[in-house]
Amino acid sequence: MKTALYERHCALGAKIVEFAGWNMPLQYKGVIPEHLAVRKALGIFDVSHMGRIEVSGHEAEQFLDYLSTNIIAGKPSFSATYTVWPNGVGGCVDDLIVYKQDPHHFFVVVNASNRQKDLDHLMKYTTAFDVHIQDKFSTEGILAIQGPKALQVAEHIFPEASQIKPMQFLFADYKGSSIILSGTGYTGAGGCEIYAPNAVIVELWDRFLYEGQNEGIEPAGLGARDTLRLEMGYALYGHELNESISPNETVSNWTVRWKKKDFLGKSLMQQLEASEKKRSEHGIILLDKGIAREGYEVYQNGRLLGKVTSGTYSPTLSKSIAIILTEGNLKNGDHVEVQIRQNRVEAEVVPLPFLKKPEQVNA
Amino acid sequence: MKYTESHEWINLQDGLGVVGVTEHAQKELGDIVYVELPKEGKQVKAGEEAVVLESTKAAADVYSPISGVIVEVNHALTKASELVNKSPETEGWLFKIKPSDLKELDKLLDPEAYQAMLSKA
Repeated sequence: MKTALYERHCALGAKIVEFAGWNMPLQYKGVIPEHLAVRKALGIFDVSHMGRIEVSGHEAEQFLDYLSTNIIAGKPSFSATYTVWPNGVGGCVDDLIVYKQDPHHFFVVVNASNRQKDLDHLMKYTTAFDVHIQDKFSTEGILAIQGPKALQVAEHIFPEASQIKPMQFLFADYKGSSIILSGTGYTGAGGCEIYAPNAVIVELWDRFLYEGQNEGIEPAGLGARDTLRLEMGYALYGHELNESISPNETVSNWTVRWKKKDFLGKSLMQQLEASEKKRSEHGIILLDKGIAREGYEVYQNGRLLGKVTSGTYSPTLSKSIAIILTEGNLKNGDHVEVQIRQNRVEAEVVPLPFLKKPEQVNA
Repeated sequence: MKYTESHEWINLQDGLGVVGVTEHAQKELGDIVYVELPKEGKQVKAGEEAVVLESTKAAADVYSPISGVIVEVNHALTKASELVNKSPETEGWLFKIKPSDLKELDKLLDPEAYQAMLSKA
C-alpha cells in the first residue's frame, strides 16, 4: 500500500522500505541528520499508515475504559491519553492514543501493523456496549511535525496552533476541510500531529516544508522515528509489546491503573504481578563498543536473563542504547552483558527515558 | 583497483592490499556508527568475514576480497566511523592485507565490470 505522499517521498530521494504492508520512507538524507533536525529544530513525518478509528455512542467512554489499562472515564474533553489494550490472556493487543471529544464521541489512533486486528478487537466487545465503530483508514492522512520549532512553524499555517498543548487536541479548518491538530508525538521533542483528509494532506506536507525551511525543517523517515522514540524509552508494538508480553511487564507499565474497578485482563495481570514469573523491561547503555540489536541475549554473572527488544545508536547521546526484557529484579546501576556476535559487551541498567532533559541536546 | 560482488574494493600498494567498501555500499548501509575491526595479525581466507560495520539500522559484514594476513587496520575509524560514509574509497579504508596468493586478484571484478553489475541491479 502507498500513502497519499508516496510520490513526494520518491521525489525527495527517500529510501523506501516495506513496513506493515506499506511502502514507507526509511530515510531521506540519513537517520542521524534527520534525528538531530528533530531534536534541534523540526522534522516532518508521514505517518498516514497509522489508523484512526472513531468510537461513538452512549457507552463509548465505559467501553474504552474497560478495554484500556489507563484511565479513560472522566478525562476532560479534548484530552489525548496513551494506553495499552490488554488482550485478556496475558499479552497486549496494541498501544495507542485515545482522544476524547465528549463523553459520547472518541477516536483512537493505532499502529499500522495492528489496524485490522484492533478493529476486530473493538468489534468483538461491541456486543456488550452501546457503541458504534467507524474506521477512517482510507480517507485520511496523518502528519507528525516534531521538534522544538514545530509549533512555531505550524502557527504560520494554522493560527490555532498556538493553543496546542501536550496531550490535548483541537479541531481546525484548512480551506474548508475539518482537520485535527493534536499535541502528541513519538519523539519527545514536542510538536503536533495532524489528521487531515487525503485531499489536503499533500498540500499540507508541501506547505510545512516551505514554511519551515528557514527553521531547518527536514523530512524524516521511519529510521529517525525509531531512534527518536527509543531515546525516550517509548514502546514499539512488536518489540516491547506483543501478544505474549503482559502490559505490566513492559516499559508502558505506568499506564496500568490498578485502582480502576475493572478492565480487560485485570485479574490475570494482578496474579502475574504477585508472581515470581513476572518479567520486566529496562533501559541499558552499553559501556563498550557495539550495538545491542533486537533478539540479542542478555546475561548477568553468566546466567541468561532475557533478550534485547530494541537497540540502536543514540545520535543525541552518542551512546549505544537498548531496551531489554528480563527475568528477576534488575535495578538501575546493575551491570549486565549483551551477547554481540562472539563477544559479551558490558552494559549498565539506567532509568528511562535515556534522554533526560532538553539541555542534553547540543544546539 | 579491484572489486567484489559484495561491494568491497582492494587496491595493491607496496605489496599490500588496501581494503574498504565501495561508495555504493556506504550509501546502502546509511550512517555507520561503529566499526568492528579485526586484530592485526589475523589470518583470513578470501570471502571470510573480516570487519563488521554497524549502521543505525543494521550490522553488515565486510568480507576479505583475498586470502592473507591482516597487517594493519585503520585505527582512525575507532573514533571517526563516519569516515566510511564520507570517503569510503580513501580515508575510510578498513584494513591492509598481506596477500598469500596474488592470483586471487584475477578473480575479482575490474572497475568496468563492477559498474556494470551495479547498473544491472
